[in-house]
Amino acid sequence: MARSFEIPRRRLLVAAAAAGGGLVSTVEPALSAGKTLNFADIGVGDPGGDWSPFTKPTGWKVNLIAIGNAPSAILNVMLAGGGTSTYDIINIVGGMQPPLVSNHLIDPIDPAEMPNWAKDIYISEYLAEGKPGFQFIGYRGQLYGVPTVLQGDAFAYLPEKTGPLDSYAALFDPKWRGYVALEDNYTTAGQKTALYLKSAGLADISDPANMSPAEIKAVVDFLIEQKKKGQFRVLWSSFEQAVDLIVRKEVYVIDCWEPMVFAAAAKGVNAVYADPKEGYLLWAMAAYLVKKRKASEAGTKASYALLNFMLGGWYGAKITLLRGYMTNPLAPIYAASHPDEFTTAEAKKIAEITANVKHKFDQGGTWQNRWPTHVDAYESEWQRFEAA
Amino acid sequence: MRRARAAARYGLLGLPVVFLLFFLVCPLLLTFAISFWRRTGFTFTPALTLHSYLAFFSGVRLLVFERSLLISAEATLISLLLAYPVAYFLALRAAPGTVRVCLSLFTVPFLINYIIRTFAWTYLLDRAGPINGMLRWLGLVHHPLSWLLYGDFAVFIGLISAYMPFMVFPLWLSLSGIDRRLIEASWVLGARPARTFFGVILPLSLPGVFAATIFGFVGCFGESAVPSILGGVGYQLMGNTITSAMDVLDYPLAAAMSSVVVFAMLALLTAWFLTFDLRDLLGKIVEWRH
Amino acid sequence: MLTGTLLFLLYLPLIPPLLFSVGLAEPGAQAITFAAYGQLWGNPVLVTAMGTTIEVAVIVGVAAPALGLLAALAVRELAIPRLVMLLVLLPLFIPGVSMGLASAFFFRELGIAPSLLTVAVVQIVWALPFATLVIMTVMSTFDPVLLEAAYVAGANRLRGFIDVELPLIRPGVIGAALFSLILSFNETIRTSLVQGPLNTVQTYIWSTYKQTGLSATIYALMTSLILLTLALIAGILVIGRSRRTT
Repeated sequence: MARSFEIPRRRLLVAAAAAGGGLVSTVEPALSAGKTLNFADIGVGDPGGDWSPFTKPTGWKVNLIAIGNAPSAILNVMLAGGGTSTYDIINIVGGMQPPLVSNHLIDPIDPAEMPNWAKDIYISEYLAEGKPGFQFIGYRGQLYGVPTVLQGDAFAYLPEKTGPLDSYAALFDPKWRGYVALEDNYTTAGQKTALYLKSAGLADISDPANMSPAEIKAVVDFLIEQKKKGQFRVLWSSFEQAVDLIVRKEVYVIDCWEPMVFAAAAKGVNAVYADPKEGYLLWAMAAYLVKKRKASEAGTKASYALLNFMLGGWYGAKITLLRGYMTNPLAPIYAASHPDEFTTAEAKKIAEITANVKHKFDQGGTWQNRWPTHVDAYESEWQRFEAA
Repeated sequence: MRRARAAARYGLLGLPVVFLLFFLVCPLLLTFAISFWRRTGFTFTPALTLHSYLAFFSGVRLLVFERSLLISAEATLISLLLAYPVAYFLALRAAPGTVRVCLSLFTVPFLINYIIRTFAWTYLLDRAGPINGMLRWLGLVHHPLSWLLYGDFAVFIGLISAYMPFMVFPLWLSLSGIDRRLIEASWVLGARPARTFFGVILPLSLPGVFAATIFGFVGCFGESAVPSILGGVGYQLMGNTITSAMDVLDYPLAAAMSSVVVFAMLALLTAWFLTFDLRDLLGKIVEWRH
Repeated sequence: MLTGTLLFLLYLPLIPPLLFSVGLAEPGAQAITFAAYGQLWGNPVLVTAMGTTIEVAVIVGVAAPALGLLAALAVRELAIPRLVMLLVLLPLFIPGVSMGLASAFFFRELGIAPSLLTVAVVQIVWALPFATLVIMTVMSTFDPVLLEAAYVAGANRLRGFIDVELPLIRPGVIGAALFSLILSFNETIRTSLVQGPLNTVQTYIWSTYKQTGLSATIYALMTSLILLTLALIAGILVIGRSRRTT
């Protein structure tokens, strides 16, 4: 009687061991491939939540975490918040190398690890060492950032109210008194004002991208004068606010980012992003490699794979389509050649946006400086402007 | 055994104290220390310098501090004048069912993110908004009013609608804790309603008034969303300027400003403790150990 | 009446989000659409944020009333009532940005990495005074004579508390828990400074508001919450009324 129990039990055990062994062996590679990259982004770098074109070939998932774009928000998270142990890549507006490198938060990048780097002619044209855009991705001769997005800023206006406008002078035109809004940011609004004052000969500024305390004081004096005349309706500090101002027609001329014009158009309001004769405020998003306390080779390799992916056609096309920014040269080509993923209308839109932004870069202007040498003076002068 | 029991008892009861000492007092002391440190490049190192305080008191930011004091005081006063009658009604006049409903209704708006709530006011108050629309439809104005938004008026609306509901609760708590017999006694002795109110009810509700003032004042003082969304061209309160200093990594300055704010608030706390015996504040709440 | 007017004014800013969530109130508006409500679950960052919010809220909703209860008892039992009260009320006096900054410095110096717990700690510190005050209020209605009776019947301090006092002050503890939940849910500025890589619904809304604009989905989320809570309140009222009549 006992024997009839024994054999099945042994067979069961053997079968279980085999099954278990099989299970373990199938689980293990999934575990090691089921790693995740933590990708901190300000909201611009999200390709619609779907990272499968990256995850499928590499086996690494991408965990997108939202961070603010303000220097303190980023540094807060990185320093006080232990970001170095949590994030792998941070994707923010570039030019933040000085504080990030000085605080040992990011690693230099090696372009050789990213095949798409060499294919990105925008980098060699606008951002290479020696070019003015280098300060968006490099510091002290070394490369730190991967330029995932490029853009030129100006201002927007409602043509039905103002007619065509082609100069930053419109922001200070008494005709639109009380119907003008500026961004609450000394590196954008402040620098654009400086660009205008220099072009118009109203102030002696050698380089709007890096002003001395005396020069920024002159800019702020001008702005205070305008403020006291009631020129500005509001200083906006969020995307939502700016779009709202355009859509509600609360202002006619507004210093803002181009995607806001697209957002307003989606809500049925026709605003035009100007083509000012003084030029544009040029900037780039930079994806940085976070300096990890304990870097694993697999992790670094995966991070480079992701950086390379972001310089690729699919990612570029998605971001251009979603945000209205220019990304990389491969993007319009990819969109046009993959009708299964991008409709003809979408591919056309991507090509248009790319051509539009390229035109801005060719026209030039001034490169936004996120961390000027005298940033303290910028901040305290701007406080003076706000308190006036 | 009894000693172990007693130790356990003290340990358990002392837990909140230890928790707060560690997670509240220590961070505040650290911030105070950092306000004396020196800023070096992109970070800060231990030092002993008054530089940050001097920068704060001699600069434009002092104006922001003064403005914060003024605006907070005014907004708190107005909120108090609005919240008190509501609390009075709920505590002394309304049926218990109404009270519960009203109090719950006052809490519901808090479930909406306060940024969205504040932002909704821009929609309501701007030149093309429904309020201007109604004023024009009623024929009261011919052009939309610009001052409804991006100025003092909007900031007050934002602050009051954010903090007034908060203030109703301590007022209601304190008013409903008043022994009715005292009020009745006052009537019985022949006092008119106004006399009863100023002589009996108001003084007994003062602890609640003070608590509500704290909620409102401290809240308004540290606000940054309302001024930046509704304020207009550079309307700044302490919250904004502290964040701005952090943005250029001037942490010692931010710490200095923060410490000054905390000291100002602590002055209020001390005034509270000196003026009111705890028993008055908490009414029947605390039964003292004899 | 004043209360009515004030409630109306308070609820006024809740209307635009409602309208936005169904696609109205914009110049290019067409018919009412509930699409945004369906998309709520399709946004992975938002869903994760909702998860984090709930997790933190649960921790805070349990720890704050617990600590508040201990604090209330400590005021009554220990020989240092004024010190306890001072400490417990202190968080009320610290503006959010100051507290967040201070906590961030503190955690950094100690080398504590941001996590669910750092967020929870900051929120518990904030909620503690409110929880304690609510519990103390309810405790005031509790007659100590009942405890005396329990001691006479042979119970020791602990049993007296657990068997006699606790059941009677339970509404206060539950009230404190609800208050803490609401405060935790609402908390933005302190959380944003210590959250590190995490996001709660509030901090997520804050960052999307700044960088990419609010979407109809967020308005839909907010509106759903409001409607849910109003329904809950109505439900509790109806049950309460029916229980009283039976």
